[in-house]
Amino acid sequence: MTKFVSFINVLSRIFGVFSAALVASAILVVCQMVVMRYVLNASTVWQTEYVTYAIVAATFMGSPYVLLVKGHVNVDLLPHYLGGGARKALAIFASLLALAFCSVIAWQSYEFFYEAYDGGWETDSVWALPLWIPYLPMVLGLSLLCVQYVAEILSTAFDLAPQTEGSTISDGGRD
Amino acid sequence: MDPLTIGILAAVLVIFLLATGMPVAFGLGLTSVIFLVLFEGIDSLSIIADTFFAGIGEFSLVSIPMFIVMGAAVASSPAGKDLFEALERWLTRVPGGLIISNIGACSVFAALSGSSPATCAAIGKMGIPEMQKRGYPDSLATGSIAAGGTLGILIPPSVTMIVYGISTETSIGRLFLAGVFPGLLLTTLFMVWAIFYAWRRGYDFRSAVGAYSWRQKFEILPRVLPFLAIIIGILFVLYGGVATPSEAAGVGALFCLILVAAIYKIVQPRKIWEILSSSTRESVMILMIIGSSALFAYTLSSLFVTQSVAEYIAGLDVNRWVLMFMINIFLLVAGFFLPPVAVIVMTAPILLPIITAVGFDPYWFAVILTINMEIGLITPPVGLNLYVINGIAPEISLPTILKGALPFMICMVVGILILCVFPEIATWLPNEVMGR
Repeated sequence: MTKFVSFINVLSRIFGVFSAALVASAILVVCQMVVMRYVLNASTVWQTEYVTYAIVAATFMGSPYVLLVKGHVNVDLLPHYLGGGARKALAIFASLLALAFCSVIAWQSYEFFYEAYDGGWETDSVWALPLWIPYLPMVLGLSLLCVQYVAEILSTAFDLAPQTEGSTISDGGRD
Repeated sequence: MDPLTIGILAAVLVIFLLATGMPVAFGLGLTSVIFLVLFEGIDSLSIIADTFFAGIGEFSLVSIPMFIVMGAAVASSPAGKDLFEALERWLTRVPGGLIISNIGACSVFAALSGSSPATCAAIGKMGIPEMQKRGYPDSLATGSIAAGGTLGILIPPSVTMIVYGISTETSIGRLFLAGVFPGLLLTTLFMVWAIFYAWRRGYDFRSAVGAYSWRQKFEILPRVLPFLAIIIGILFVLYGGVATPSEAAGVGALFCLILVAAIYKIVQPRKIWEILSSSTRESVMILMIIGSSALFAYTLSSLFVTQSVAEYIAGLDVNRWVLMFMINIFLLVAGFFLPPVAVIVMTAPILLPIITAVGFDPYWFAVILTINMEIGLITPPVGLNLYVINGIAPEISLPTILKGALPFMICMVVGILILCVFPEIATWLPNEVMGR
């Protein structure tokens, strides 16, 4: 079980790196677009869509990583005032609720992705990007998010310490 | 069931779910799913992926991660220290110059970084010990930094304003402009209070004068002025339709990365990765909340809750200032428990129709809403800034920090009152620059 939890944690980190790379690529593409538009007075075809979908993809793919590093903001007032056992029980309960939502939307995102793929949907721009491409990261990210929640619940329930083993990779951050 | 009752049930469920400590994004999402299934049947779930995706997939939202990267780049460098130093060297002969330097550096840095905790940490690390050394009371030193740090969500470019603009479909350019003078107003109020307090406590301002040569005064400018130029540049290109907020933010982010590389030699892959990963974390968190709140807003509106609440409140026929007072109390309480972005995406779509129906300006209201959120940042239990300051100045007790922050909260309330009497402070600049 520890193996499963650490495998998922590593996978989430890989998704996190990918997500950060997407953000970086979006910055460069925006700047390239600005140069094209305002300096060279050329028209741009794919940049706006690329940047928008890159940020969407970064959000979904980054989500399990953000869960791993406890970056999804919450109201921790009640847990704060509870003692050990009750706090643990509440944490598991809250994670189960979150898992419930994440499973529903992961399942729906798959249906949505399949529909787009099957129906050959495209964006209505000149670029005509097949829509299953931006929908795919949503499916992948939300699915891993569910599995990451399972890992979180397991490690809370059995007091595994998932943070120690992967901590050689820097989390950076402001917390 | 009557839409108003549904609305109340939804509010109760959200509060219950969030109280368990589950992430705000998933709490809003779960509430939406439960209400859709209960009132519209299981088939209605087929829209949730599309709604969530569309909520995030907007070009204007691209500006959020870009501004966050820009802020993280600045926050990772010693720019905050230099900003403080520069102001201190130039203003040291002005009575209360150190106070002005502290709060002024906070407001500029907060505008650049857009992050309250980052501002408190960056300016506070320098400013608090310096104020203590020159004999200012601890509570004043910490309070002025805590309050100064909150200015970042009001002074443009502000992520909070972008989120308001997206969720209410108002112009982000106008919102940025609307925040300029109220931001300066609050900065001034903070400074006036801090100087007054020090003076009344019999503080001898002459003892705080440092001696700096003209050489020292000028040598620091090249490290500070480029950052100021970026803020002004961003504001400049946003108006006259030169560029969209996302374009301005993208270029601003790249410029800030280049500046911290050129001035502070931040080029190591590890440092760059830290900037990128911390920004990614923050923007993923915000965008997930925005996506799920799009779902939440869709649910409320398809069950006619939004429309009914607006109609009901308009039908109450209360005086609009009484209404504004109640909305302020509501926002204040929400801000005590939730971060600004969450409060805005949850409440703005419901509040805006009410606000405009009774004749308030949506841009003026954005400013009022934001100041309420600023108060929440320096009050317990969430009060992020208080804990950041406790972290960087552990020898000062939390009650002292809290006591020091209290007068600044009152300054913000005074700021809200002034804006109620003179709404032009917020509305004049956007109207002047962008037309009515």
